[in-house]
Parts: sequence; structure tokens; C-alpha cells
Amino acid sequence: MSDPIKLTVDGREVTAPGGQLLIKAAEEHGTYIPRFCWHPRMKPVGMCRMCLVEVEGPRGKVLVTSCTTPVAEGMVVHTKSDVVKKAQEGVLEFLLVNHPLDCPVCDKGGECPLQDQTLSHGPGESRFVEEKRHFEKPIAISELVMLDRERCILCARCTRFSDEISGDPLIEFIDRGNHTQINTFPDEPFASYFSGNTVQICPVGALTATPYRFRARPWDLEAVESTCPQCSVGCRVSVQASQNQVLRLIGVDVDATNQGWLCDKGRFAFEHLRAPARLSTPLVRGADGELHEAGWGEALDLIASRIGAVIAERGPAAVAGLGGARSTNEEAYAFGKLLRGVLGTGNLDASLGDDPGAALLAGVPHRATIDDLERAKTILVWGPDLKEELPVLHLRVRRAATALGADVVVVHPRATGLDRDAAHVVRYRPGEGAATLQRLAAGEGDLAAVRAALDTGPVVAIVGRTGLAESADLADAVAAFALTLADAKVMPVARRGNVLGAIDMGVHPHLLPGRVAASDAAARAALAAAWGCAVAVPGRDTSGILSGMADGSIAAVLLLGCDPVADHPDRKAAAAAFDKAPFLVSLDLFLNESNRTADVVLPVDTFTEVEGTMTNLEGRVQKSNRIVPGVGASRPVVEILEDLAARLGGSIGAGAAAIAKEIALVAPAYAAVSWEALDWGRGRDGIVVAEGPFTHTPERRATDPSVGALTLHLGRVLYDGGTMITAGPSLARLAPEPAAHLHPDDASRLGFAAGDRVTVTGNAGSAAMAVAIDPTLARGTVYLPFNLGASIGNGLEVKVEK
Amino acid sequence: MTWPDTTLARARDIIARYPEPRSAVMPLLYVAMRHDGRLTDEGMRQVAALTGMTAVQVESVASFYSMYKRHVGSHVVSVCTSISCHLLGGRDVLAAVSDATGVPAGETSADGSVTIESVECIGACGGAPAVQVDYELIEGVTPDKGAELCRWLMTAHPEVVHGDDLQTRFGGRRSFPAGPPDPVGAMGPYPAFGPLGTTGGEA
Ligand code: SF4
Ligand code: SF4
Ligand code: FES
Ligand code: FES
Repeated sequence: MSDPIKLTVDGREVTAPGGQLLIKAAEEHGTYIPRFCWHPRMKPVGMCRMCLVEVEGPRGKVLVTSCTTPVAEGMVVHTKSDVVKKAQEGVLEFLLVNHPLDCPVCDKGGECPLQDQTLSHGPGESRFVEEKRHFEKPIAISELVMLDRERCILCARCTRFSDEISGDPLIEFIDRGNHTQINTFPDEPFASYFSGNTVQICPVGALTATPYRFRARPWDLEAVESTCPQCSVGCRVSVQASQNQVLRLIGVDVDATNQGWLCDKGRFAFEHLRAPARLSTPLVRGADGELHEAGWGEALDLIASRIGAVIAERGPAAVAGLGGARSTNEEAYAFGKLLRGVLGTGNLDASLGDDPGAALLAGVPHRATIDDLERAKTILVWGPDLKEELPVLHLRVRRAATALGADVVVVHPRATGLDRDAAHVVRYRPGEGAATLQRLAAGEGDLAAVRAALDTGPVVAIVGRTGLAESADLADAVAAFALTLADAKVMPVARRGNVLGAIDMGVHPHLLPGRVAASDAAARAALAAAWGCAVAVPGRDTSGILSGMADGSIAAVLLLGCDPVADHPDRKAAAAAFDKAPFLVSLDLFLNESNRTADVVLPVDTFTEVEGTMTNLEGRVQKSNRIVPGVGASRPVVEILEDLAARLGGSIGAGAAAIAKEIALVAPAYAAVSWEALDWGRGRDGIVVAEGPFTHTPERRATDPSVGALTLHLGRVLYDGGTMITAGPSLARLAPEPAAHLHPDDASRLGFAAGDRVTVTGNAGSAAMAVAIDPTLARGTVYLPFNLGASIGNGLEVKVEK
Repeated sequence: MTWPDTTLARARDIIARYPEPRSAVMPLLYVAMRHDGRLTDEGMRQVAALTGMTAVQVESVASFYSMYKRHVGSHVVSVCTSISCHLLGGRDVLAAVSDATGVPAGETSADGSVTIESVECIGACGGAPAVQVDYELIEGVTPDKGAELCRWLMTAHPEVVHGDDLQTRFGGRRSFPAGPPDPVGAMGPYPAFGPLGTTGGEA
């Protein structure tokens, strides 16, 4: 875009940035030009001709497509002339030549651009009497998406999205010409992590998503804007519900974060909300050893008396709390306040040992925002496969690489979703990260060109755990290196939705709310004054709590939406700790591996059912809103915790709104955040919280362990065995089978072929699974996706045997 | 990869001619047809793997062009029915060819030896009516000669069809006097195109 220029639209002089497309310039000045194929987040194609306007030229007025025509100085444009109207009528008459007009049974009916624009710009009658094209309708092009080719108007929005934006072009026009249709390749379904976006942008009812098909008419839906809690990108969503049931999520276009897109996990992970297995009443373990339904009073009384007894006998240090990384900030804050203030224990942690460390997450200097990717010249990604863990961040990096000219450097043990668009790809074996970093920093050998690329700033370094077997120190070391680069910012990433928010709320042994070091006595005193009760000194983190449970020094544990037995990388240690059966209370949606042994399980309200805020991986605080009630007797976490606090002689605050105000007062980094601002004011796109006061200087202290011939890469996949996935029918069937992935050289050295059944043995167990061959793996590596039902521990040492 | 090394090597040679591997998709589709005798899903997958495209992107290209054929016999006989040929009896040639093979235009004989099609102008109007066998041109074809040509294809099962030879045996008056002899023949229902390795005799 260059200097502003002047043009005339329908007799009105307007200014627009030079180079801007006419359709957009007109829209920004209040003139809406009808369109089907043009989408503001994709390149124009001029495919549908609906946006025709008249432009005056030296040889008179000509019809041009306003979506492919840039504005020019002195341009005179007519968008409503008789000629334009005639053209629009003609275009619509043609678009409807083959359209089946089955609006009454179409999910799009009522919110369909084709329907609406036919009403506003169409001819009213068609001159075509010929037989229409017929296709089998609808066909499933993936587990989630159905295609009705008769309704398709061939606008190429879906194909352009999957090619330009998501980079997995699995749908295309075939039989182009008179018989053009959208389709997939035989046996190659539209299995994209982003397929739901095509359903959202299809301007007709040709693409529909199975979870929503025939569930509602659009005019019956109520909507509220909220934040997707499924990962820490924090995409904005419109939650749409009818009759107290969430029926779909639609991406909201926020420039700074998701730019309108969602991943399919975020889009479709709402079915678990009304899953039959969801807990709807408190459960208390009876004398017979089984969990029985109970009333709230009974359950809370029991918790208060048992925890009171533990504190009286063994002191508050025998109590601990885990979780909060899936909760709202208000819930996490209430949890932290209950533990640190009311119960007096410093044993609390929201991170489950699978992230790059709370210090880096909360305290990194020069934190990058997602939008910094728009300006970055070089992007270093040394962390998880973003496509599997933080999908929409993957789209933003991809956009930087493919549309904005950034050079991406990917360092990972196997191919990631970004490799195809990366300028440099570095492979290494887990356990050789420190050596690889050293070679990279020195620009040794084949890494000289990679090192040279990193000299072009601005640099954004996305840093996290590549896998769970690798030490978290490596991420710190990578961040430390990245900060030595010219004009560099660092984005530390962890997966779970609100892990940074929970840490910021003080659900961490060493941090008080608002990124304040808990070791600082003055800060504790200030917080104690605000809370009106003493604030516990730092205690144990997750691994300390698990070992305390195992050795009996921790006697009572509260779990807030947290399943360490399934999610902790060292599942064996977690299972051993939970086997010791301390007094266990779980606030959760489902029974899971950790709370099956609980003494009390409390059903909670969750996403779409409570109001609150979430903090994404940039530190952007966004609002989550309520549109449906919880199920059965479930209650909001803050109310449950307040009732519990009252029974223990304390208080944590009455309701989430009051807690939100308290957070702004006591948490320095959150001083500027308020619900009002987020809902109505400058914070509609979220408020990025200030850095500090706690800061962490990353250190290059990682060293490589000595490992054998094979090391384990324990990576994550988008659809895994998580309860929110397995409880919803649509996503549950997408989780892949666990497999031991080997480089072909290793496979042939060991004498394995694809499909062979093998036993994989790690530091904490063995599991039987099939061999898969993956030529993209670093040699000497066994890749095993985490949380797919096979658990062998998270040590680097691994063996594969027949 | 299911292609033999020689075919893969040829494919890689073709890819090397272009700045982007995907630009080679069209010649590679002929290589795929050469390998399977027709266009198959497996062939398109192979082209996709070699060019870094997805299989459906390859199909999008392949399904646009009528010369990439999914269903085709060992030879394809294309009878021109555009204006010049039409005026000089192209329709009769087509009818005779259909009679001789027992299949209408657009279909393949029961034994799989020939596919008959009617096509638009093939650039031999001066020698109308014109016919192609595997895109090797024959001009001045009469209905009788057309039928004879088909019977020959169905009984002799030639490995290679060669334009000059076909013209001598089944053709008539040509647009232009014969040019320099063309030694390149076609080995199946795709054009004989030297750089692709589909020339007569070559593996
Ligand atoms: S399916 Fe929808 S988005 Fe795709 S080309 Fe057809 S109308 Fe456009
Ligand atoms: S990328 Fe993350 S926040 Fe965005 S839709 Fe997907 S799961 Fe939700
Ligand atoms: S919107 Fe311009 S041609 Fe489709
Ligand atoms: S009309 Fe038959 S070759 Fe031109």
C-alpha cells in the first residue's frame, strides 16, 4: 500500500490507500459491493463476477470486477448504475443455472450469501428451463465435512483456503470445464486440521460440518463472543447455542490473533459439554469404596473437615493443589488464593512438567506477540510442531513465510507442518539438542547458512519443548541464544489453554499473582494485607508434589481440571503418587485416570458456561463468556471454592466478577485489565499484559545426556486421548493409532518393516504397537506420539524389539 | 514409489528442465500413462509425490485435458469430425470405424485393443478427412481404409504405431507433400514425444 489517493464512488469523493482493492476501499467508505469469491484474508481470483462495477475510462464506462481492481487516482466508479444492476442480475441468473434451490433443507438457509444476494440483487426469475446438473448429494469428503456439489457455485474459496492459508490442498476443482466440480482425490479425504474454516467461508451450503448439520436454523441461534480454551493461541470465537446447548463455534476475525481462522479441534471440541459421561452431580466415596452421588453440602463439608484435619495434624505443608491451566484466570486466582491464603500452603502448580518452564513462560524478556510475525524477517521455530499443538499459530507463521516473505528456520527431530515453507530445516536427535544449539550458534559446517539467516532481524524465536522426553532446559538455552540475535523477540510456547494465565494468577510455588516472585517477603506481606490473611511461603512444584504424595508427606490434594496420570510426561511417577491415595478432591468435567481414586469429585461449569478471562501465550488477556448453563448440579469453580473457603474459615471472593476486580488490584501486570474494557472498550481484541515484575534471564545451561543408539521423541498430535476429544463423537474418531516411527535406515538395521508389531520399552514401561516408517525422522530416533494409549515413560533411552 | 528406476530417472530428468518441480506435471502425466497404459490413481499419486503437489491437484490438471485418459484401450483412434473433415466424409469414416470395432465413439472395444473417439480439428484440414492413431496422423482416410486400419490394430497388436507407415498403408491425399521422414512412433495411447522417452523402441 502506498500514499492515499482520491477516487469517486457513486458520486462521492473518498480517499483510499494506493493499491487497495476497489471492493475493500468502497466497503470502508460504506458502500457494500456484493461478492461471493472475494475474501479479505485471501488473494482475489475474480471467479464469481458478482462484484462487477462500472469504472469510467478513456473509452467510456467499462464493467470490471472490483475485487481484482486496485483503486487509482481520479477513478470514477459506479456501483449501482443500471448497467451494474443488469450485470448483477445476469451473474446471479447464471450462478443459479445449476443450483438446486433446496434452501428449505439447507443448513445455510437464513445466513446464505447466495440467498441474500439473490434477494437483493437477483433478477427474480430465471430464463433457464434446461435440466440442471445432478450429483450425488451430499458426499462425505472427510470425517467432519460433507460436500453437496449441486449447491456449489465454484467460487474457489475452499480451494484457495486450503492451498494459500492452511497449505494442505486436498480439495480441488476437477473435471474443469462444463463439468467442474469440487472434490477430493479418491481415497484421500479432506483430512485437514483446518477443514472447518472452509465450511465457515463457503458462501453457499455446499460445505457443511457434520457436528452441526440439521441441528438448528440460524435464526434460532443465540451467540456470544468468547475465547477458545483448547490451546494457548486463544482464538476468538462466536459461540452459538440454541435451547441451552452449544451447537457450533465460528471464528471471529481478530487481526492480532486468529484472523478469522480456527483449527478443527477448537471448532468442534464442544460436543464434550453435553457428553453423557459428563459429571453432573458431586460424587463422594462411600464406605464401600465406590463413588456415590452426593449433595453439595455433604461433599463440601467432607472436604473441609478432612482437609482441616490434615492441616491440624500435619500442618498446611501436607496439602497441595494441582491444575488451573484449563481454567479461567478468575478460577485459577481463586484456586491459588484458597491454597496460599486460606489453607496456607505453597504447594501449588498449574504446569504439569510438559512445558518449557514457568520461569521462561512468565518471565521471558522481550516477549514476542503473534502480530510480531507480520514484521519478522526471520522466524526461528525450535519447539513443538506448531501444527499439532498450536494450530492457528502455525497458520500465522505460515502466512509470514508464504505471504510476507519471512525466512523460517525449523529445528525439530522430524518433519513438522512448517517444513515445506521453511527456508532452513535442521534435524537433530532428542538428547543432542545442546550440541545442536552450540553448532548452530557457532554456524558450524552445514549450519553456517542457517546461522547466517538468523542474522537478519527482526527475529521472532518460537521456543518450547519439541517433545516430552527432552529436558526443559533446552528451551531455556534456545531462548538465551535467540536473545543474542539482532532485533530478536522470544515467544515461549506451551500447549494447555490457560497455562500462562494460571501461572500469572499465582498457581505456581514461586510466583504470586501478577508475575511477582513468591520469595519476596515484602510482596507476600503486601498480598497478605490485600487478602486479609497470611500468604504461604514458596512450596513444592508438580514433581515435588507427586513425590510428596508418593512418600506420604503430602496427605491431601486438590485437582482443578487436571489429570496428571494421563498428562504428566512421567506417567509412571504420577500413577505411583496417585496410588498412594492421599485425600483427593477433584474439580472436573469427567472421571479420568487421576480422579478415579478421588474421595470427592465435584462437577464444574466450564467454557461457555462461565464468565471470565484467559491469558494466551503472548500474555493477551481475552474475555470468555457464558451462553449456556452447566449440566445438572454442576457449579462455577469460584463459587465452589468460595463455599469451601467459608467452611475453612476464610474467603476468596464472591463471584468471578469481584475476583476479576481484585486481580487488577493485586496483580501488577494485570492492572490495566478489566471485564468492561474487554467486553466493550479498547480491549475487544484482548489486552496484552505488561511484562514483569518477575523476570527471568534464560541461561545456556542445557547439557546433553549420554544416550544409546536410539532415543525417544515423545511428541504430541492434535487429536490425542484427552478427555475433551474422546468425549465428543466427532473428534474422538480422528485420533490416530499409536505407532513407533522409525527412520528407514534404523528400521532396516533393526530388521523391521512398516506394520511389524514391536514392543517399545522406555524408562517407565513397555507397550506393544506397530512400526511406522518415517523418512523425515532424525536417524537414531523413535518417535512415539504422546497420550494415544501407549505409555512407556519419558526418558530418552528407548528400545524397540520384536 | 512403484515406478521402476528407469522411469523415475526419466521423470527426474523432466523435472530438472523446469525451475519448479510442479511445472513438470503435464509431461509427467504422460510418463504415468506410459507406465500404466492409461491414467490411474496410482500414477497420479506418483506424479504428486514427484512434484510436491497433492494427488487432487494433479487430478485437477489431468481431468481438464482430454488426452489424459483414465479409460482407454491399447490404442486410441481419433476421427476428426470438425468442419473440413465433416464436409469430406469424416462422419462416414467414424461410422465405418465404429462398425469395424463394434463400439461407438467414446468407447473401447471389448478386447481392450482400441478406443474410438471423435475429435475436433486436428490441424490436418487440407488432408481431410483425418484420423489419428495414438496421435500419429493419417490424412485422406476413406471409410474402407479406416475400417481396415482398425482391423489391423485389433489383430496385429502393434507395439509401435508410426505416422509415416500408417499414412502409406491407410492414408490418401495429404495436405502437404511429405516432409522429412519422422522416425518417432507412439507406443500407446499417448503422444510419441521424444523427451518423454515414449519414442518407438525405447523402454
Ligand atoms: S464448495 Fe463452497 S467454497 Fe468451495 S467452491 Fe463451492 S461454493 Fe465455493
Ligand atoms: S488454535 Fe488453539 S485457540 Fe485456536 S481454535 Fe485451535 S485450539 Fe482453539
Ligand atoms: S467477488 Fe469479485 S469476482 Fe467474485
Ligand atoms: S477439421 Fe479435421 S483436421 Fe481440421
